[in-house]
Amino acid sequence: MSRHTAHVSRTGLVIVGLILLLGAGAVLARGLGASTSVLGSSHAAMLTPAQVQYPAKHSWVWPVTAAVCAVIALLALWWLAAQTSTKTVRSLPLEPERVHGRTVLPAAAVTGAVTDELESYPTIRTADAVLRGSALRPGLNLAVTAENRADPATVRTSIETEALPHMREALEMETIPTVLRLSFSRAFDRHLA
Amino acid sequence: MSDTAGEHGPTLVIPAPGLPSLHAQADVWSQPGARRNARRVFRPRRTIPGVIVAAVLAVAGILGAIWAASAAAGHPLWNVPYSDFAGPMQTTVHWSDTNVIAISSAVAFVGFLLILIAVLPGRTRAVPVASRDTSVVIGVPRRNLGRSLGWLAEDIPGVDKAKVRAKRRFVMVRATTPLRDATGLAEQVHTVVAGRLAALDPLWPTQVKVKLRRKEG
Repeated sequence: MSRHTAHVSRTGLVIVGLILLLGAGAVLARGLGASTSVLGSSHAAMLTPAQVQYPAKHSWVWPVTAAVCAVIALLALWWLAAQTSTKTVRSLPLEPERVHGRTVLPAAAVTGAVTDELESYPTIRTADAVLRGSALRPGLNLAVTAENRADPATVRTSIETEALPHMREALEMETIPTVLRLSFSRAFDRHLA
Repeated sequence: MSDTAGEHGPTLVIPAPGLPSLHAQADVWSQPGARRNARRVFRPRRTIPGVIVAAVLAVAGILGAIWAASAAAGHPLWNVPYSDFAGPMQTTVHWSDTNVIAISSAVAFVGFLLILIAVLPGRTRAVPVASRDTSVVIGVPRRNLGRSLGWLAEDIPGVDKAKVRAKRRFVMVRATTPLRDATGLAEQVHTVVAGRLAALDPLWPTQVKVKLRRKEG
């Protein structure tokens, strides 16, 4: 999940919300007789006989309706896919020039190295890492659970000055945008496990 | 806030004086970049309402397309009887009917809600804490922060149970003690919790409020 999905979700919700609000608002305005000159009388029936007869007399109505519904369904499915895509990077290109063939590094090798290093620190219980975004400019999502009695400043420093620089060196990248979720768990959990 | 006497004994409420390193942190707090960035990262994504609305739309679109296609072919898959829909809509159902107004109000309200959900930024799911590296955004999940601070408070001798809620601007510690004389205990809880918060170094000034209650065992 990335900021991209947030944008996609929020934009879609605004569009659907506006359509519902404006459509229902127009019906409400006519029902309440807000502007009879534009919308028509509020005491009229909802459908006129001509409107009821219209689909039967014009053969294009149902195919067009079907097409519009299909477009709505496709858009909704695309929106669904865009919101649920995690954009996980599975492999990283090591050789930018593809002339001499292609060398890729499985992303799991990188994230595994980071989590192994983090979990080797005595103050850290578990670590989880995922690379997201584009393979050329990936972002790192880290979830680290530290011992509750450990000093958070030490935990943070060891992540920022050891594990992350090691990963950048390995990937030969200057910076990797990183989101770190730092949780704490009770110290004796480890001994009970 | 003042001291109040509850049913189970005195409740100590001490005013929060702020974090110890208030002045040292003023510089960090005045930098908008890191905070804006953290807010952007940890703000709710609204994926759940988005996915629900998208799924409803997709199902409605597919059903509508199938039905309209079958109607176009001359054999509607399911018939909507004239007497149930088109008949009354021509004769008995008027724009000003209560049902029409009620349904359109409900739909307009749903639309309004969706816009609100999309536009309101929402409370960050994690409490952003300072990071030395500008490319690293760090947050402590709000619930976990509360639990973590609660465990620390429970480690203090004399504190029986402590529940901590992390709000936007303050954390509220509700602790119970079996001690009859709990002099200084609330201050001690305050020191421990504020000390841990200072070590975490949140991006927003966060006050600590302590409510200590005596619980007779």
